[in-house]
Amino acid sequence: MTVELLAPKYLTWMANGLLMTAWIAVIAIVFSTLAGFTLALARDAKKPVWRLLARCYTLVFRNTPLLIQLFFWYFAAPNLLPENTMLWLNTPHPLNLAGCTLGWPSFEFLAGTFGLTLYATAFVAEDIRSGIRGVPKGQYEAAAASGLTRWQMQRHVILPQALRHALSPLFGQYMNIVKNSSLTMGIGLAELSYTSRQVEAASFLTFQAFGVATLGYIGLIAILDVLARQVQQRVALPAGN
Amino acid sequence: MKIKTQVLALLLLGLASGVAMADKLDDIKKAGVLRVAAFDGNPPFGFVDEKTHKIIGLDVDYAQEVAKRLGVKLEIVPTNPANRIPLLTANKVDLVFANFTITPERAKVIDFSVPYFASGQQFLARKGALKSPDQIASLRVGADKGTTMEATLREKYPNATVVLYDDTPFALTALRNGNVQAITQDGSKLVAILGNLPDKDKYEIPGFSISEELEGVGVPKGETRLVAYLNDTLKDLEKNGTASKIYDRWFGPDTKAPLPRLFKIGDAHIRAQ
Repeated sequence: MTVELLAPKYLTWMANGLLMTAWIAVIAIVFSTLAGFTLALARDAKKPVWRLLARCYTLVFRNTPLLIQLFFWYFAAPNLLPENTMLWLNTPHPLNLAGCTLGWPSFEFLAGTFGLTLYATAFVAEDIRSGIRGVPKGQYEAAAASGLTRWQMQRHVILPQALRHALSPLFGQYMNIVKNSSLTMGIGLAELSYTSRQVEAASFLTFQAFGVATLGYIGLIAILDVLARQVQQRVALPAGN
Repeated sequence: MKIKTQVLALLLLGLASGVAMADKLDDIKKAGVLRVAAFDGNPPFGFVDEKTHKIIGLDVDYAQEVAKRLGVKLEIVPTNPANRIPLLTANKVDLVFANFTITPERAKVIDFSVPYFASGQQFLARKGALKSPDQIASLRVGADKGTTMEATLREKYPNATVVLYDDTPFALTALRNGNVQAITQDGSKLVAILGNLPDKDKYEIPGFSISEELEGVGVPKGETRLVAYLNDTLKDLEKNGTASKIYDRWFGPDTKAPLPRLFKIGDAHIRAQ
């Protein structure tokens, strides 16, 4: 049995899809981590209003399916925007900065990365929070006794230790982000899953199309895995501590 | 045994000559009935009228005109896409008027008249947003995943931004939100979509098509006189204005969802613009 390989044209489509998946995953990882830190701190904040807001956020974004959230941001939310705003968003406005042209992101891209980031933030925040909870009470007392302010305590004592605890689940969450990004094909974002379906429909090479997509995701997750190990080794405490 | 063979040979000869001499056109006139296969569930081409429970539609109107000219009664036999050719080859009907696309494969088994209807891949857009085909290249166009629509669009307009959705309702929502400026589908399907929109006066189907399917009357193979008769009749219907009257009855400006007439009987192709 000979297996027909995908034509170079189709491989190019798949490569573009892979790049798009990597790109939206990186954006979602960076922003969900920043927002996740904020949300984790808000959940244990002194002011009850912050705690309430943070709890509501987690409730909404962790307890609804990502696909529905993406449909909401792409199909439903634009109804709230004025017609002219949508027209402006959907018309390319390339930026020319010192000779290089920045392309205008499509609305699929904006809604996709936005939705994915908001969803991931809820999970990332919970992982960071469990890391914070893993820091022994004595550390707080010691920091307070050293005369550190609340902010200094978080910055220099608590968060570095919390992060170390949270690293492993955090990278697991990042891998989820890569995989969850496939749902953005539901709103027409041309990432790896979308292009694999497109290639399948055009070439009828079902096995090859979805096979290449599978390898693409495995590759991206493998990169994250290697990264996780390196970071963990770097921040590992010396033996005996 | 020998006699039997001779009789059989004679019979076969008689049958063969009978086939060669038989002419469907004369048969129909002699019988006084024209048997036509038409769809019973494909509005507006052929469907059951709710009030009269009779099959009506654009195809039936054309069949009626042919029967009128022949001076015979019209008898409609309901059919579906898969039955159209078997009904003809089994001599259960004389003609097929059922949105029958002319293809080389079908033309090997049956004959076709000249096309009397054409449909093609068209666009649904916000009023005024899409006026001519060369604008497509600069637009964001929504299409259904896994359809030939996407391939045709990409082939003809490589610069257009094509956004694929899981199905037509999603593509339609994207159009209504302004995420895409147009969606593409078969013209007759777009008409149905447009007809159901609550704010349909905001949208239109621009008067051009980027692909074509030509529909003709299905005729049993080898009935050249009948085909010639049909072709003359159809061309006359176009000349005396009956064809455009029939079209307007189902797709005209006063219907629920108007579709511009891009094809006239006698044209070789659907009008590009």
